[in-house]
Amino acid sequence: MAPERKKLTYWDLLKSWVLWTFFSHSCYNYERLQALGFAHSMVPIIRRLYTTKEQISAALKRHLVFFNTEPNVGDVIHGITAAMEEERANDQPITDEAINSVKTGLMGPLAGIGDTLTQGTVTPILLALGIGLAKDGNLFGPLVYILLEAAVIWGVGYFMFFQGYKMGRTAVERLLEGGLVKDLITGAGIVGATVIGALTASFVNLTTPITITVGQQVVKLQADFFDKIMPQLLPLGLTLGVWWLLSKRKSPIAIMGYLVLVGVVGSLLKVF
Amino acid sequence: MQITVFQAALIALFYYLAQSPWLMGMGYWTLYRPLIGGTVVGIILGNPAQGAIIGATINLLYLGFISAGGSLPGDPALAGYVGTALAIGSGIDVNAALALAVPIGLLGSLIWFGRMTLDAIFVHWADRYAEEGNTSGVAFANIVPPQILLFVICFVPAFIATLYGPSAVKGAIDFLGAKVFHILMVVGGMLPALGIAMNFRAIGRGQTLPFFFLGFLLFVYLKISVIGIAAFAVVFAFVYMQLHKGGVKSGA
Repeated sequence: MAPERKKLTYWDLLKSWVLWTFFSHSCYNYERLQALGFAHSMVPIIRRLYTTKEQISAALKRHLVFFNTEPNVGDVIHGITAAMEEERANDQPITDEAINSVKTGLMGPLAGIGDTLTQGTVTPILLALGIGLAKDGNLFGPLVYILLEAAVIWGVGYFMFFQGYKMGRTAVERLLEGGLVKDLITGAGIVGATVIGALTASFVNLTTPITITVGQQVVKLQADFFDKIMPQLLPLGLTLGVWWLLSKRKSPIAIMGYLVLVGVVGSLLKVF
Repeated sequence: MQITVFQAALIALFYYLAQSPWLMGMGYWTLYRPLIGGTVVGIILGNPAQGAIIGATINLLYLGFISAGGSLPGDPALAGYVGTALAIGSGIDVNAALALAVPIGLLGSLIWFGRMTLDAIFVHWADRYAEEGNTSGVAFANIVPPQILLFVICFVPAFIATLYGPSAVKGAIDFLGAKVFHILMVVGGMLPALGIAMNFRAIGRGQTLPFFFLGFLLFVYLKISVIGIAAFAVVFAFVYMQLHKGGVKSGA
C-alpha cells in the first residue's frame, strides 16, 4: 500500500507566514543575516512533513544557512520553499542543493525589487502624506500613515507568500522577467518623484537676509530677487545640488558634513 | 519641562518596541519612523501635537531611509524618540530639534552595530538545537536571547539620554546663546534636502525628474496639499504608462 501523501494545510502555511512576519529580523546578524528567522518560519512546515529526528534535524540545518531578502516581497521564496519541502517529503527527488539554489537565486533580485517598492517608494509616499498632515499638528497624519502602511506591508507579504506556494519556482521567475514588475516600479517611481518634489517645496528651508543698496534703493535679495523668479528657489537648488553630489557617489554622511559646514559658516557670515 | 523617570522609561520602552518584532514586524514600518516616534513621545509628555510636528520634521531627514543588507546610515528611531524628547524637554524650536537629532541618529548606528554583531552568537545556539532536531529550541534561540540583548542595548541609552539630556541641551544653549540657536535653525532647515535627495536617488530612473519638478511647481504656484499632489501623481503615472505602452506597440 502506498503511503498517504503528506499535505501542508492552510494553517501550516499561515503559521509559517505569521512566524516570518513577526520574527524575520529578531536575531538579525552580520554572520548569516536572516538565517535563523528563515529556519524559525519553516518550523510549522517541518513539523507537519517530517517525523524522524534525523529528518527534522536535516531540515532545520538546511534552512540555517545565510539568507537575506526584503521580508514582504521576498517571502514569495518561503512559499516556494514550503512547496518544495512538501514534494521532498513525498519522496520526490529534490536535493538540498535544489532548495538552496532557489533561495539564494531569488533572494538577491527580490531584495532589489522589494526594497525599491516597500522601503524606497511606498513607505516614503505614505510618510509624505502623514508628514504633510502632521506638520500642522494634525494627529490624523501619523494615524493614517500607520493604517495604510500596515495594510500595504501585511497585504503584500501575505499575497506573495501564498502566491509562491501556489505558483512555484518557474512561474515566479517568469513573472520577475516579465514587464509587470518593471511597470509597477516605474509607476511607483513617478508618484514618488512628484510627491518628493512637493516635499522639497514645503519642507526644505533656506532664505537669505542679504540686502544690496543701489543708490537710494535697497534691494532685498530674497524678497525682491529670488522670490520674484520662483518661490522656494533656494531650497530647490539645494536639493538638486545634494542630489547631484549623491549621483557623484559622495557618501550621505560626507554630504551631511558639508550641509552643516555651509549652514554654520553661512550663518556666521550672515549669508543665511 | 521636567521629564519624569516614568516618562523616560516609557519613551525608552517604545524605542525598544520600535526595534523589536512584537508588533508582527510592523515596528520597523511604524514605531521606527520619527513621524510615529515623535507623536508617541508627544503623547507621553502631554503634548501630542508638538510631538507630531517635531517627529514629522525629523522624519524628513530619514525619508529615503533604506536598510539594505543590514547596513544603516544612522538610526531614525533613536533620532525620533530621543530627539523629540530633548526638543520638548528643553523647549527648543522644530528646526533646531532636527539639527540636534542628527548626531543622535548617528550614535544610534552603534546600537545597530552591537546588535548585528552579538546576535551571531545565538545562531550558533540554534545550530546546536538543529543538530538535536529540536524545533522549539530553534524558535527559542530566534526570540528569547536576542530580544533580551536588544532590550538592554536599546532601553538603557534611550532612558539615560531622555532623562538627563534635556537639561544638558538647555544648559548648552543658554550658555552659547541666541547665535547658536540661529545656526541650528539654518542647518535644520537645510538637512531635509539630504533625506529628500537620497530618496529621489533611490527611486529616480532618469525619466522621473520632470515629475519631481511637477510636484514642486504644483506646490509653490497652485498651493495644492501634499495629499492632493499625490492624487494627481497617481493619475500622471497611469497616463504615462498608457502612453509608454502605446509607444512600444507602434514602435514594434
